[in-house]
Amino acid sequence: MFVGADSVTGVTEREGNRVADPTMASAADARDRVRFEDDALAHADQLYRIALRLTGSTQSAEELVQETYLRAFRSWRSYATGTNLAAWLATILRNIYLDEARRQSRRPVIESLDEQGDYYLYNHLAETAKEPQEAVLNRLAGGAIVDSLADVPPTFREVIVLVDVGGFSYKDAAEILDVPVGTVMSRLHRGRRLLKQALAERTREEKE
Amino acid sequence: MTVTDPCKGAELGLQAYLDRTLTPDEVSMIEVHLGECSYCRDRYHFEAKLRDTVRTVCCGDPVPEGLVDRVRLHCRDCG
Repeated sequence: MFVGADSVTGVTEREGNRVADPTMASAADARDRVRFEDDALAHADQLYRIALRLTGSTQSAEELVQETYLRAFRSWRSYATGTNLAAWLATILRNIYLDEARRQSRRPVIESLDEQGDYYLYNHLAETAKEPQEAVLNRLAGGAIVDSLADVPPTFREVIVLVDVGGFSYKDAAEILDVPVGTVMSRLHRGRRLLKQALAERTREEKE
Repeated sequence: MTVTDPCKGAELGLQAYLDRTLTPDEVSMIEVHLGECSYCRDRYHFEAKLRDTVRTVCCGDPVPEGLVDRVRLHCRDCG
């Protein structure tokens, strides 16, 4: 499904740039390529979990990961050795995801939602729940958190996913998203507030 | 922080505090407040727990068995 997505991979394609003389240089090249593939594949779990939280489906997540590796392997020469390989791969993954979202005209938009303060979820639980707030959290853990994360608009969700699920630093996330670090932090803060609102909604539904 | 209500100030600083992006002065201002205000302290603990929970839940997503093998196969077939 992701095959043939427009090539906005964030990396320079350098196919056809092969060494013309297939001698020792190409043997070394092949070894480098194998090493690159092994190094890249070591990040498969991390990429899969990011993909899962972006797409919301196990099938789409696996397809997204496969397409990411396909493009990564094709343009492996454009990876600068010594830089963050996981972030490089995540950039490709995210660009493919965006392409696909655009093609299905699910263009990520910044939705205007009334935004509550950071104490909102706790206050809501304190007013409505009969058990301690942390107990509610333990009970909610799992399905409700995953569902609530899916309710957060993509622009904000992807930052939470990169930082909390992908384990990327704000600086890495800024490079992956191609925005300033300050933007990463403001989107992250807003995303976390929206996640708490979504969780509050879920506890409300639960009671009804 | 220029908010006069210290609880409001603590709420505004919560995320930056947990992100460790505040200045040492701001951190100590918040910690002094948390030391004397259980209302804010409870909410800070809750937020930290919530972050942990989100991280644990999402990082615990099972990865399908044989993913890497299928990726290799896919890349061999299409590459």
